[in-house]
Amino acid sequence: MNQNRRISRRKFLSTASGGFGAMALAGIVADEAQAASIDPLAARAGHFPARADRVIFLYSTGGVSQVDTFDHKPQLAADHGKSITASRWLNRPGQFQRFLIRPRWPFKQYGQSGTWVSDLFPQLGSVIDDVCVLNAMHCESDGHDKATLAAHTGSAQFARPSHGAWVSYGLGTANRNLPSFMVLAPAAPYAGAQTWGSDFLPACHQGTHVIPGIEPLPNLRPRVPSADLQQLELELLGKLNRRHMEHRAADAALDARVRSFETAFGMQREAPEAFDLSRETEATLKLYGLERGATQGFGWQCLVARRLAERGVRFLELIDVGSSNNWDSHGNMADHERLAKAIDTSIAGLLTDLKQRGMLDRTLVVWTSEFGRTPFHQDANHAGREHHNLVFSSWMAGGGVKGGIVHGRSDEYGILPTEAAVHTHDLHATMLHLLGIDHERLTYRHAGRDYRLTDVAGHVVTEILS
Amino acid sequence: MLANAQTMALNCGVVLVFAVGMSGGVSVVAGAETDTDFFEKRIRPLLIDRCLSCHSAAKGKTSGGLALDTREGWAKGGDSGSPIVPGKPDESLLIRAVKYVADGPQMPPKEKGGKLSEAQIADLVEWVRRGAPDPRVATARLGGLTVEEARRWWAFQPLKQVEPPAVKDSAWPSTDIDRFILAQKEARGLSHLATADKRTLIRRATFDLTGLPPTPAEIETFLKDESAEAFAKLVDRLLASSAYGERWGRHWLDVARYADTAGDGADYPVREAGKYRNWVINSFNADQPYDEFLREQIAGDILAKSGPPEQYASRVTATGFLAIGKRYGYKPSPDYQHLDFADAIDSVGRSVLGLSLGCARCHDHKYDPVTAADYYALYGILQSSTWAFPGGEEQKRPVYFPPLVPADEATRLDQLKAAELARMDTEIGKLKSERATLDGKSFAGGVDLGFEGQPLGKPPAGVWLSAGPNSVIAEAQSPFVHTHSGGTRGVRLGSGQKTDGIRYVFEHGLRATPGKQMHFTIDFRTVAPTDKRGAYRFYLGRGVIASLAVECSVTATEFAIRDGAKWEIVRQLKPGTWHTLRLTLNPEKKTYSGIVGTAAAELTAFQDKQLAANWDGILDTFICDGIGHVEGPAPVRDLDNIGLMEIPFAAPGTGPVNPPVLSADAKEKLAKVELDLAALTTSRVAEVARMPYEVAYGVSEGTPVNARIQQRGEPDKLGDEVPRRFLEVLGGDAMPTNSTGSGRLELANWLTRPTNPLTARVFVNRVWQWHFGQGLVPTSSDFGTRGEAPSHPELLDWMTSQFVASGWKVKGLHRLILRSRTYQLASDDHAENLKLDPENRWLWRSSRRPLDAESIRDAMLAVSGRLDRSLAPPHPFPSVDTWGFTIHAPFHAVYDSNHRSIYLMVQRNRRHPFLALFDAADPNQSIAERQPTTTPTQSLFLMNSPFVHEQSVAFAQRLLAIEGDAATRVRLAFELAHGRIPSESDVADAVDFIAAYRDKLATQNIPLDQQSVAAWSAFARVLLTGNAFLYVD
Repeated sequence: MNQNRRISRRKFLSTASGGFGAMALAGIVADEAQAASIDPLAARAGHFPARADRVIFLYSTGGVSQVDTFDHKPQLAADHGKSITASRWLNRPGQFQRFLIRPRWPFKQYGQSGTWVSDLFPQLGSVIDDVCVLNAMHCESDGHDKATLAAHTGSAQFARPSHGAWVSYGLGTANRNLPSFMVLAPAAPYAGAQTWGSDFLPACHQGTHVIPGIEPLPNLRPRVPSADLQQLELELLGKLNRRHMEHRAADAALDARVRSFETAFGMQREAPEAFDLSRETEATLKLYGLERGATQGFGWQCLVARRLAERGVRFLELIDVGSSNNWDSHGNMADHERLAKAIDTSIAGLLTDLKQRGMLDRTLVVWTSEFGRTPFHQDANHAGREHHNLVFSSWMAGGGVKGGIVHGRSDEYGILPTEAAVHTHDLHATMLHLLGIDHERLTYRHAGRDYRLTDVAGHVVTEILS
Repeated sequence: MLANAQTMALNCGVVLVFAVGMSGGVSVVAGAETDTDFFEKRIRPLLIDRCLSCHSAAKGKTSGGLALDTREGWAKGGDSGSPIVPGKPDESLLIRAVKYVADGPQMPPKEKGGKLSEAQIADLVEWVRRGAPDPRVATARLGGLTVEEARRWWAFQPLKQVEPPAVKDSAWPSTDIDRFILAQKEARGLSHLATADKRTLIRRATFDLTGLPPTPAEIETFLKDESAEAFAKLVDRLLASSAYGERWGRHWLDVARYADTAGDGADYPVREAGKYRNWVINSFNADQPYDEFLREQIAGDILAKSGPPEQYASRVTATGFLAIGKRYGYKPSPDYQHLDFADAIDSVGRSVLGLSLGCARCHDHKYDPVTAADYYALYGILQSSTWAFPGGEEQKRPVYFPPLVPADEATRLDQLKAAELARMDTEIGKLKSERATLDGKSFAGGVDLGFEGQPLGKPPAGVWLSAGPNSVIAEAQSPFVHTHSGGTRGVRLGSGQKTDGIRYVFEHGLRATPGKQMHFTIDFRTVAPTDKRGAYRFYLGRGVIASLAVECSVTATEFAIRDGAKWEIVRQLKPGTWHTLRLTLNPEKKTYSGIVGTAAAELTAFQDKQLAANWDGILDTFICDGIGHVEGPAPVRDLDNIGLMEIPFAAPGTGPVNPPVLSADAKEKLAKVELDLAALTTSRVAEVARMPYEVAYGVSEGTPVNARIQQRGEPDKLGDEVPRRFLEVLGGDAMPTNSTGSGRLELANWLTRPTNPLTARVFVNRVWQWHFGQGLVPTSSDFGTRGEAPSHPELLDWMTSQFVASGWKVKGLHRLILRSRTYQLASDDHAENLKLDPENRWLWRSSRRPLDAESIRDAMLAVSGRLDRSLAPPHPFPSVDTWGFTIHAPFHAVYDSNHRSIYLMVQRNRRHPFLALFDAADPNQSIAERQPTTTPTQSLFLMNSPFVHEQSVAFAQRLLAIEGDAATRVRLAFELAHGRIPSESDVADAVDFIAAYRDKLATQNIPLDQQSVAAWSAFARVLLTGNAFLYVD
């Protein structure tokens, strides 16, 4: 690290940004003011000691079939083609005669725990003793947009701050030179950038979208001849912006713009380094299934995520595919294979690498999709599966979570939860809990009401805490 | 029942009335009073008691898919079909079930109370015997609402004629709009704010109406004008500037999901898209009435036919609105159209009606009164039109683009072009044959038919066609020199496959001419050793076996010729030995002769053999393939020295021949011919590429057809046909019976008739939103039940009435809004008001707004002095004849320009990096409202992008070019960038900054002559990236 630049950085902050927060606070009306503590991104302790310092949230877009991945259903295979009465079909309640469809891939038991994993995720199977599988996940909506929003913001209906924004708001960032919340995704999932938006939370908490490629974040290199010249420039900018805000103090957007310059200034140095994989060893690249020189793919996303996590980014979300050609296998479940192959090695590599580096203990890794898929279909020979929100599978690993366990059960066919159901709200509550945050106390007053990530619901799943 | 509703609506013309007929039950069985009594007394109570707990659509419980709570329910039946066959109790599953017949369902089931009493069973039998009279009709529903609910929904009600409300503080309102606003403010206890100062006002209005900052001169004019009309005059000036259309046209393009590419996986460029964009800009500038603006976008091509000729082109161009959406097709095929139409229907719904019609593609709308039948009624209208196809993965060329001239004129111009091409071809032909007689190179069809120009080790290419493992190699050079003077290569061919070989089409075929013979020569050998026993042949004739003249057939050891219908073996051959063959054709006598052999002394001659009987006298093609007089795989062979001409070839053993030596005169002539030929060839290429008339990316009339409902939106699961018609909830008007059109003209009229409660309301609300940042209905593309209700419904109706009464004039609507005190309010904070209404829903102040992407870029260019206001040229897309884009190699480009941002090339699948970064509209769908974000990546752009640096350098140079000291320049800079006079401390800070920056540059070995520009650029950058620049109060 370049010591001089460090000093410049500190000086810039003290001169250019030191006063903003205070000024903003002075003028902001009470309800919105709680956002603007002196510095909304300053690192803060949670409500109680945290088990994890950061989250890496892995998201598979489109709805991953539980009975073809983590929820082992021998009875479903045995009763293939039999008719059942389903209570819901295409988001409509009712009584529907449907046919059971067997899982397409065989399952094996892995590790000392003997956790069942299908042949779609053999590599993940090899590290399953670090993973807590949640087999009774459920949510309200079986529409992509709504369920995706619910998985990210806790609200299926309305735009609300995303989980990453809430965590950033609650804990700030450990590194002011990088955004507190970063999203590594080749394309946006359903509901687009809302999934990482900050909505009514200050805009500095929204996710910064990194698009894998040669230049994941453009314009990172300063164009002025030296850092101190840029610093002079930003000092004057800060001064003029401060004067501009004197009579406009209630406008959080103005303050957010000022802060975004501060973050950008720091990113110029930190981000290129974080994206530079040239010093990673062959062994590490292999772990992630990454070719040297590659600048995209889920392996790249996972390895860069580890590097960003090392640098203090609080919340990282990795999305495998966007709102098309994803896991939404209505027509043919065979698609699952291609999609699983694209992430299996990389995820296993990430967990292994984090563990080797001693980071897994303090890093919470979560994998989910918006919902699962129906173990049954209208047509006994159908090759696809429909949306299924009544039960599906997710998993957690690392930071404070028991490894090698399966929590929650569904019925013999994987249609309804039968034991220890975990709602999306519960998942959020548990994530926050592991970060040292009481989900009921992390609130924000907006338009006359206190909002939280978990709305008015959510229970911490204490059974899976280590 | 719905048909009934439709008639009602047609008769009454308004939505309000048509639902009335639905509420009362209608007896289905005529004159069945006793039947009705029977049903009411015995059957209805029985069904309610014992059946409906499991079989009621109204309760959402339809066990086995069966509903028994309406006649429609049981008539449609469940999973086992309809349980009642009226009049036939014995055939009715219902009766069998209640009788507990053993081999079927037994109803009601034991756990629901078990078998009915015998009397009840008898009643049911009697009921069915009577024909199952059942007066119970389903509550009439339209999609997600009952008809009654739809009728009551605010947005479907006719405009209310409202008067501006009374207010306590009657001095405050400037206009009627203010009275509506004030009434709500008073009701909520919100305090007044002052109006904005004049500098703020002119900056606000100028950005709002033109998307550009006011110049210092414009500010001065406005400040000096102390008249009461100063602001009105300013608004008039801004509305009259061409920049107005560029700003407000962009708003419409958001809604219209405009892009310059097609949006399928390969994202084909659309060269004509810009014409639609320009049409939108011009329409706003010309203050085209909004209803006409819409009609032309839906049916401009039809209106054009009966309209003034000078509007023909612009009206056809307007239909780009339909075509410009995201496309899905690989080729112009019905296979993909359902997705294109889904985009178009959804876009028309959102943009014009504020309804999410797209939801009704797979099933009736869940929340709004839109049915799948409505959707497919509109679908039929679109399907009856011909859509311009932009190019796609499979069919890589655009097609069906409607001409901008009337059809007969287009035909005439097409014919003219064809005639011109034919003329050019004749001329080129003449020049080529002239060249052939002059250059000596065309000797025998060109030197060695071009073998010598072919690269070694590859199959012969260019005018040669090659199939199979053929290769031009040095070993295949013939030793004979009597035809061509030596050489370095020949061609070796032969896979053994019959159809593999080579083909050559002579540029100038020979045509049977009285008194002339045709001469052909070839050298060949079978490569030894060989185990292949089959034959290969030499074909001469017209085209690919189109008209055979002569065939020779060769095996490793035999040479045969075709004499009429039979093969004649002429001589034996030795594998590995080169032979030369010469043929002389006499078309008049329909015979040919020839010689074949290894040397002058060793020739076999043949005479007067029959040419093929059906030969048409044209000789332009030579083929060597594996079909000959002996079956089996043909051996590998070498060929060389092939020639065709009207004068005899030299005899074997003579030579080497020399090409004729050109005289000086001939050389000169030849040079001129070459020049003419080159020029004409270029002109021909240009003529081929020239569109005989301009075309648009739009739609035209096709074959009228009604669509069938696609169940679950799947085009291969077809349901009932739906006649083309308008939305049921808006009248359901049918196509006129004598109509021969697609229905688009009718649709255009239905959408824009004054009784349509949505179209004008939706647009007025949009205009309000684009002025204030938030609509009175915040969900400006959703006036349905999932949208938000209007904050000021009376104001919306009042303004809409004014708008329609004014002839749908948009500029008038701007004036109406901008004249209000509400628009002119300051954007200051107010602690009490902020508590009561933090989101400014009740408009107690002007909401500060970030500049949108286009405004940021345009304002930077304007302030730097580099904004190019000339007519933006078309995008420099690659030439259409090079298009080969696929999903794996899609079109992608970013074109630089200093024109306004509305003219940037908007790519659908890969967003323009700047426009995407600053939250410009995503062209993949109709966008109601931009969602501005504030991100560090934007700040990186403002700090480090080449664009911002270029503009700050240009801005610095602009400042340095004026007379005066640093402070004077600083003042001007502030006024240019922020529209305000800086405070003295601002000036002092800036001057100090520039000095300090220069000092630092000096210590860093930056040359003196660059220091000034660099320091002023840094200052310029601060101004261009400050909040005072990026936000409008």
